[in-house]
Amino acid sequence: MPRRRDVLALVLIVLPWTLLITVWHQSPVTPQPVTRKDNRRVVSKTHSNGLQPKESCVIYNSVSGVVRTEYAYGRPQPWSDLLPIIHIITPTYTRPVQKAELTRLANTLLHVPNLHWIVVEDAPRRTALVSRLLRSTGLNHTHLNVETPRAYRLHREPRAARVPRGTTQRNLGLRWLREALGHGAENRGVVYFADDDNTYSLELFEEMRSTQKVSVWPVAFVGGLRYESPKINTMGKVYGWRTVFDPHRPFAIDMAGFAINLQLILSKPQAYFKLKGVKGGYQESSLLRELVTLGDLEPKADNCTKVLVWHTRTERPVLVNEGKRGFTDFSVEI
Amino acid sequence: MKLKLKTVFLLYFMVSLMGLVYALMQLGQRCDCREHDLPKDRTISQLRGELHKLHEQMRKSEPTKASKKTSLPTIYVITPTYARLVQKAELTRLSQTFLHVPQLHWILVEDAPHKTPLVRDFLAASGLTYTHLHMLTPKERKLQEGDPTWLKPRGAEQRNEGLRWLREMAAAAGGKGPTIESAVVYFADDDNTYSLQLFEEMRYTVKVSVWPVGLVGGMKFERPVVENGKVVRFHTGWRPSRPFPIDMAGFAVSLKLVLDNPEARFDGDAQIGFLESSFLQNMVTMEELEPKADMCNKVLVWHTRTEKPKMKREEALIKQGLGSDPNVEV
Repeated sequence: MPRRRDVLALVLIVLPWTLLITVWHQSPVTPQPVTRKDNRRVVSKTHSNGLQPKESCVIYNSVSGVVRTEYAYGRPQPWSDLLPIIHIITPTYTRPVQKAELTRLANTLLHVPNLHWIVVEDAPRRTALVSRLLRSTGLNHTHLNVETPRAYRLHREPRAARVPRGTTQRNLGLRWLREALGHGAENRGVVYFADDDNTYSLELFEEMRSTQKVSVWPVAFVGGLRYESPKINTMGKVYGWRTVFDPHRPFAIDMAGFAINLQLILSKPQAYFKLKGVKGGYQESSLLRELVTLGDLEPKADNCTKVLVWHTRTERPVLVNEGKRGFTDFSVEI
Repeated sequence: MKLKLKTVFLLYFMVSLMGLVYALMQLGQRCDCREHDLPKDRTISQLRGELHKLHEQMRKSEPTKASKKTSLPTIYVITPTYARLVQKAELTRLSQTFLHVPQLHWILVEDAPHKTPLVRDFLAASGLTYTHLHMLTPKERKLQEGDPTWLKPRGAEQRNEGLRWLREMAAAAGGKGPTIESAVVYFADDDNTYSLQLFEEMRYTVKVSVWPVGLVGGMKFERPVVENGKVVRFHTGWRPSRPFPIDMAGFAVSLKLVLDNPEARFDGDAQIGFLESSFLQNMVTMEELEPKADMCNKVLVWHTRTEKPKMKREEALIKQGLGSDPNVEV
């Protein structure tokens, strides 16, 4: 009869090795075959810190308390090892049309392979509405939140001290990427700032995927024009901006009109959108001038001759019949 | 068996050695094929995009095959549309939603004298199963510049045209076939927002099914009130005495019912808010309505409206003859 001490010693020796071998077996990626329609299949994906695809990883970090990254099964496109990942940073805030906007944006994003959606709420806590919506879409997402500091909110301060909406949230998205992904050279990806009320064609995402530094394209319905676009010379380089509103800004382009290579973001950890003292229309320049020069910009969308993104805005719904105390059942989520 | 310390160490050493060798072998086999040159990467991602588009198109252009396999009832979605700045954007994001819905047939009816190239090319590239129609609203029924949107009901002629096409198509097929017998008709405006679940709720409609609609009627949502599985009244803040105080996006009709009522159509001269009633009132009674969306407790469709983009600078430029290139389609 082997002594208990011996058995214990044996177990303690063998255990770490069995664990090591099990972990080693799980980590290589085997891409799943493309499935038709809504058959639920498991999608495997490697993550830079070696997480199992089926777990939902909860990372506590200094950024904003609990951050949860969940992986996608089923309807979204199967993951591919070759395609660079598109990280989409979407600031959002609670208002009646929020669920509708996020729903239709999700319906769009579900068509894009290798996508990671970073949704940042302008709220003191992550709301159940957004959490539930993100989970139900099955998209690969990260749900963050940060409240725009009271001093910067739109209605209180005089114009000069106001911060354009979404800045704090976008900065948090950038910070999260930097903290979560570190500096590995295997981080091939693109970062795009997508507002929840714009309209995006699927072609746009494939155009931006090959961004080396910063790529640019026309955006419809901004600056009081049918579309604004960069000016491209015969050599295929950007030399100016076709806008009416202040074309002499360093980067006279809308938030939806450019995408940044992930490596560039990671390699310049000090680059953020400037919070204070930014004139209207200079938000984008405040970040881009720390990352690239005009000559580095890559024109997409057929040398900036096609419109692939529209800066649509949704009307505020008229809720007069709700009255002071609310007419409709509060427990029904809209 | 007594474990001597020497044995323990030897065992440990052997296990470690084997583990190391195993790990090294794994490393050796793994092909690190990440160093592609960049143009190749771009081509590959473009090809993948193409592949995906083709997949979707294939999926959508095989309705009979799929219906035989899954026998899902077809959903015919009738959407009236008209040319304005945001038209292409609205249709784009609507099509992105529809691409997720199996067995969907989109009937897009333009309020125009002819089919426009913008819509024609858009539909061809969308990957959806579609029918492209057009029907011009007569001048007296059209909203004039500066008219508030609630003045005259819109889209009646176009929806009627969609119904006419459906009746014709059904007659040509002899009223039989999987795409007709259990099919459903839904009227979807091009600026609303639809969740994917909505289409699965409406798919099995016997006569007329109903559900709540968000952000309409001056309220957070309007809905039919359901008791014991039946609709007893309608919860709405505006003119609840209408026969069917329900928004266009809040009901779906079975194709069979449409075919059984060959005279049913939308009355373009109806008072505002009575368009839906003009269609439904002779086809179905409130008792026959089928409540969906968890007994009308969930909002699965929102009556969103898109702002008209401000074009002051464009207009100023046009006056100077410097307007943006009209060849660039927006």
